[in-house]
Amino acid sequence: MDVVTSQTIGVEVNGTMYERDVEARRLLIHLLRDDLDLTGSHVGCDTGNCGACSVILDGTLVKSCMVLAIQVDGSSIETVEGLAGEEQLSPLQQAFSDHHALQCGYCTPGMLMSATALLRENPRPSDEEIARALQGNICRCTGYWNIFEAIKAASG
Amino acid sequence: MTETTVSEPIVVEEQETRPGYAGQNVPRKEDRRLVQGEGVFFDDVKRHNMGYVHFVRSPYAHAKLRSVDVSKALEHPGVIGTLTGDEVALLTDPFFQISSPPGAHIKDFCLAVGKARFVGEPVAAVVANSRETARDAAELVEVDFEPLPVVSDARSALDDDAPILHDQAGTNLTWEGVYEWGDLDAAFAEADRVVKISELHFHRFNSTPLECNGALVEYNRGTGQWTITTNNQFPGFAAIMMGPAMRVGLDKLRFVTQDIGGGFGNKITSHPQLVACCLLARKLNRPVQWTEWRTDFHLSMSHGNERWFEDTEVAVKEDGTLLGFRTTALDDAGAWLRYEPLGGVIWAQVTPGMYRWRHIRLDFKQVVTNKAPVSPNRGYSRMQHLWFTERVIDIVAHELGLDPVEVRKRNYIRADEMPYETPNGCVYDSGDYAKMLDTALELIGYDELDSRRADAELRGKLLGLGIGSTLDSGTNNFGQSRLINPELQFSGNNEVATVKLDIFGEIVVTLGTTPQGQSHETTAAQVVADILGCSIDDVNVRAGHDSYWNSHAGFSGTYASQFAVTGLGAVKGATDMLAEQMKKLAAVVLGCSPEDIELAEGQARMKANPEAALPFMALGAIINANNAGLPEDLDVTLNCRYVYRPPFQPPDVERKFGNLTLTYAAQVHVAVVEVDPETGVYEIVDYAAVDDCGVRINPQVVEGQVMGATAQALGAATHETFTYDEDGNLLTPNFYDYHVPHALDMPPLKTGYIESASPFTSMGTKGMGEGGGAGIHAVCAALQDALRPRGNPIVFDSCNPYHSVWELLSDPESSRQRVTVEPR
Amino acid sequence: MAAYDHAMLLSEVAYARPATLEQALELLAEHTGARALAGGQTLLNVMKARAAAPDVLVDLSGIPELKGIELGADGTLELGPMTTYTELIASSEARARPIVGEVCAQIADVQVRNRGTIGGNVCASDPTNHLPPLLVAVGAEFTVSGTGGERTVPAEEFFLGVYMTAAGPGELLTKITVPAGRSDGFASVPIGVDGTCIVNAAASLNGGVRVALGCVGATPVLVEPATADSEAVRGAVRDAGLEPPSDVHASADYRRHLAEVVAARAVEQAGKAG
Repeated sequence: MDVVTSQTIGVEVNGTMYERDVEARRLLIHLLRDDLDLTGSHVGCDTGNCGACSVILDGTLVKSCMVLAIQVDGSSIETVEGLAGEEQLSPLQQAFSDHHALQCGYCTPGMLMSATALLRENPRPSDEEIARALQGNICRCTGYWNIFEAIKAASG
Repeated sequence: MTETTVSEPIVVEEQETRPGYAGQNVPRKEDRRLVQGEGVFFDDVKRHNMGYVHFVRSPYAHAKLRSVDVSKALEHPGVIGTLTGDEVALLTDPFFQISSPPGAHIKDFCLAVGKARFVGEPVAAVVANSRETARDAAELVEVDFEPLPVVSDARSALDDDAPILHDQAGTNLTWEGVYEWGDLDAAFAEADRVVKISELHFHRFNSTPLECNGALVEYNRGTGQWTITTNNQFPGFAAIMMGPAMRVGLDKLRFVTQDIGGGFGNKITSHPQLVACCLLARKLNRPVQWTEWRTDFHLSMSHGNERWFEDTEVAVKEDGTLLGFRTTALDDAGAWLRYEPLGGVIWAQVTPGMYRWRHIRLDFKQVVTNKAPVSPNRGYSRMQHLWFTERVIDIVAHELGLDPVEVRKRNYIRADEMPYETPNGCVYDSGDYAKMLDTALELIGYDELDSRRADAELRGKLLGLGIGSTLDSGTNNFGQSRLINPELQFSGNNEVATVKLDIFGEIVVTLGTTPQGQSHETTAAQVVADILGCSIDDVNVRAGHDSYWNSHAGFSGTYASQFAVTGLGAVKGATDMLAEQMKKLAAVVLGCSPEDIELAEGQARMKANPEAALPFMALGAIINANNAGLPEDLDVTLNCRYVYRPPFQPPDVERKFGNLTLTYAAQVHVAVVEVDPETGVYEIVDYAAVDDCGVRINPQVVEGQVMGATAQALGAATHETFTYDEDGNLLTPNFYDYHVPHALDMPPLKTGYIESASPFTSMGTKGMGEGGGAGIHAVCAALQDALRPRGNPIVFDSCNPYHSVWELLSDPESSRQRVTVEPR
Repeated sequence: MAAYDHAMLLSEVAYARPATLEQALELLAEHTGARALAGGQTLLNVMKARAAAPDVLVDLSGIPELKGIELGADGTLELGPMTTYTELIASSEARARPIVGEVCAQIADVQVRNRGTIGGNVCASDPTNHLPPLLVAVGAEFTVSGTGGERTVPAEEFFLGVYMTAAGPGELLTKITVPAGRSDGFASVPIGVDGTCIVNAAASLNGGVRVALGCVGATPVLVEPATADSEAVRGAVRDAGLEPPSDVHASADYRRHLAEVVAARAVEQAGKAG
């Protein structure tokens, strides 16, 4: 097996296949934002604390600033851009709007991915479970209370 | 200040139904794009061939720059160019200084020139083809630093042998002023007691918006025009700073913003980095992109003012009536005065806090230190002062054995005294603080306090309840800057909006503001739709800010709790103009007079005969494409621009007297904490927040601001602090050590509101959004209450992490030594 | 003097993803500047800050031998080091020693737990980590492999310093063995809920009293009080002569005091468990 400083990777994002040359040091968040023009996922810190970059990788919620692009060759990724239907927002997205669970919107994509991952695994989460699921997503605008309400409302 | 005649303010308590959109939780126009990740934040914007900037930053808090050698960096493959302080000193003039001397003599450039004065200060810039390459090449820049002794504490900045940061100023005491109103001698003579507090400390922190600063800057060689796509939240200020420094007219600086990931004041002073980017874009003939990373932000951008209140003396009557106080405020501005020393006067908007004392003296001293420059942080300068007044009232109650609720009510300015002129001529427009306190206490279940305390004790915990009341003064009179520097030519305030009716009947609104989550598109559309009598879906508010719209004025931006007054004032003004023109035009077409016309259901129609109606599209079409035959003197364009100007006078500089802000929203919070006496660890177990911001155009939006400000205040009260070591190194440069509230940290929250309309604004609204730090005041008071059985320590610092509580528990006497009560 | 910086962007690095343990060990032996990449939840931060700049990252995620959880008939747990916290929490086998899953659930947040590994937590040997003191308290054993062979190191001897363990250059941790037992406890004072620990302590009462203190030194400090009595535990902690660091969150004195408290609480918890 090779030791490489860069590699051509193939990755599926929101159902679309992409092929790109990436340096080994490239973070997944920068692949998404800069190389694939999927700018919905955001960067809010440089130590993997804020969760604004959260995406679902092979079915698992991760912080894409804490994964190397080279590691997702052959993987399948879901980002915020894939949540809405053709015509309509997803129930979760709609609930966020209904409950004023976003103000500046910068943390929102990450929050939505974390909430999506939660509800897939646990369709009727308790208040504590909701807060625990969002522990890796920092928001500075809302104080989180409305986000809890929105997820509650969107859950079964 | 002349007398103000006002009519009785309307106090609305119940959920009164008003027709139209105002007062309703209209779904936000912003949401659709934001929940789909289709917002456009500056870093989302790309330009062909753009270069990425990386700033080389000083590792020293204070050092001479003997040389900066970029030659090796320039040789690195992929590097496009560089910028050094030497170049900057030739190409630009120092930034305008707000201060009077000695602060006025400071020479501030966009890169360090000759000296670095704080860890993280940019000393050079490298531009490369990729972000990573710029970062790599930055390591090749060789800077010869000669370290100098460091001023790491504001108090030592005034020592005789303190190193001087700015030779041109010749001192670290860059601004001072004395404020005195009333009759202090008489007040202290009348007092039954004098409560003396040796030192209170408000700590350094900020709001850490999740998106950091940044810009994409393009330069058009043919026209000399820069386009700055950025998230600076006060382009009016940035332009005034940048233009003269760059020796260009302000019109050459086009600011474009769409979505901004939080501001909270921390995106006002990015102008130095923006100038560096402008110079690079011009020099390198490439678009230039700068992304500030989290650590850069913590190290170098927009810390909030750290302020000590020293030698405070409070004149008090036996029954707890506060007569007055004197204190010395020592303010740490960090290494540069970028918006300072305005903090030296802005607190005076709320000189007495919410209280009726009339005799006040405050000696304000501001010093520079080798720390990140300070700039506005949510609650800017008022929060520090309001915390001080709340600590004072709480300590007075504590020491005199009085009920903190009763003492507040005894001293609160009363609803029937509104509008209330403070000792320094500010006019509190309306409010009912006692009622808010009662509401908050009811929400928290105040009656059950004793049993909750007993229950906590059984579990080995100390329970405490604390009140934090605060004001959110909004819509500045920039004339207050003359109290800092009488030579300044600033006063009043303004904001701009345009509203037009287009050829196909589209209503298009542009704002001069730069929203960072405050829902301007939505609330503006609510106001417009109500005036024009149309559906809110037919009102299109352009997202963000663009200088090319010519929809801005000198003070345009989003800061200082004013949109509901200035922004919406401008929107209302422009829409009223448009409505009037629409009626005039309809009257001509329908053959009647404008008074006969009403706007309703998307039509201009005759009141007496609604069948005689013109849809908006018809009016738009006539003016834009079918205007032959209209009366020559018909002054109708259907494209209206309005500049809102609040009714201010320049203040009296001699007496430091005058109205400094137009509106005063208020909040009263109650916090309940449980302290583990074994460890000092505590939890906020219950919380209530009551707000009053006058007429609420969108209640959900207002409540969201209250919640957000509460969460930030709780973070600041418990963990968030920018702490430096004695070498000037920041010990909390990222989110590991600078702990902000996460989801699991949030207490249960109960909210309530009242509406005391402002008599001074066009719709009775008041600016709100900063929130005045009520959470900090409440948590401090709650801790003091909780620790009472353990030696009665005094909470004297605005930030109380576990180790501070531990110290208060271990050695209550030490804190108590700060307070003495002298009988008269 | 080089430019001062923390930032977001890694230095150039090479990358390999071996399919077997043998290949991984060969890579580590061949490239002296190589580092093993486990979950990346620590190493990537270190590389962002450029506090370390390995030449080669050896991604262990493709090596089946490093995963898996096996429960022996005698209650011994064998844990693959590349087990993520989430996998461990979800594992029914791992519930044989419940404290391990309970502590993993307190680490950071779900995103970190989905990628971060127990082996990574242990090999990082960050003084504020949760698993080093826990595994010392329960008397775990670590299997370390190199091109020369395999050896077993008791947890007490595994942690050598900050970011340093007995798995030296060219070696990998390949198995964590946790003996049977249920009388365990863990107590901590984190910065905010589930934040970085200011102090932590793990206690095991499965024959004797073992208390391992974290955050008070470069490596976990094991104390063995004579009894599980609170005073005895606190006395043993005092007698350990701790010299904890002072930082923005706690002075040395405060940490020393907190260590006593969390030690006693961990022991109390252990007494109630199992």
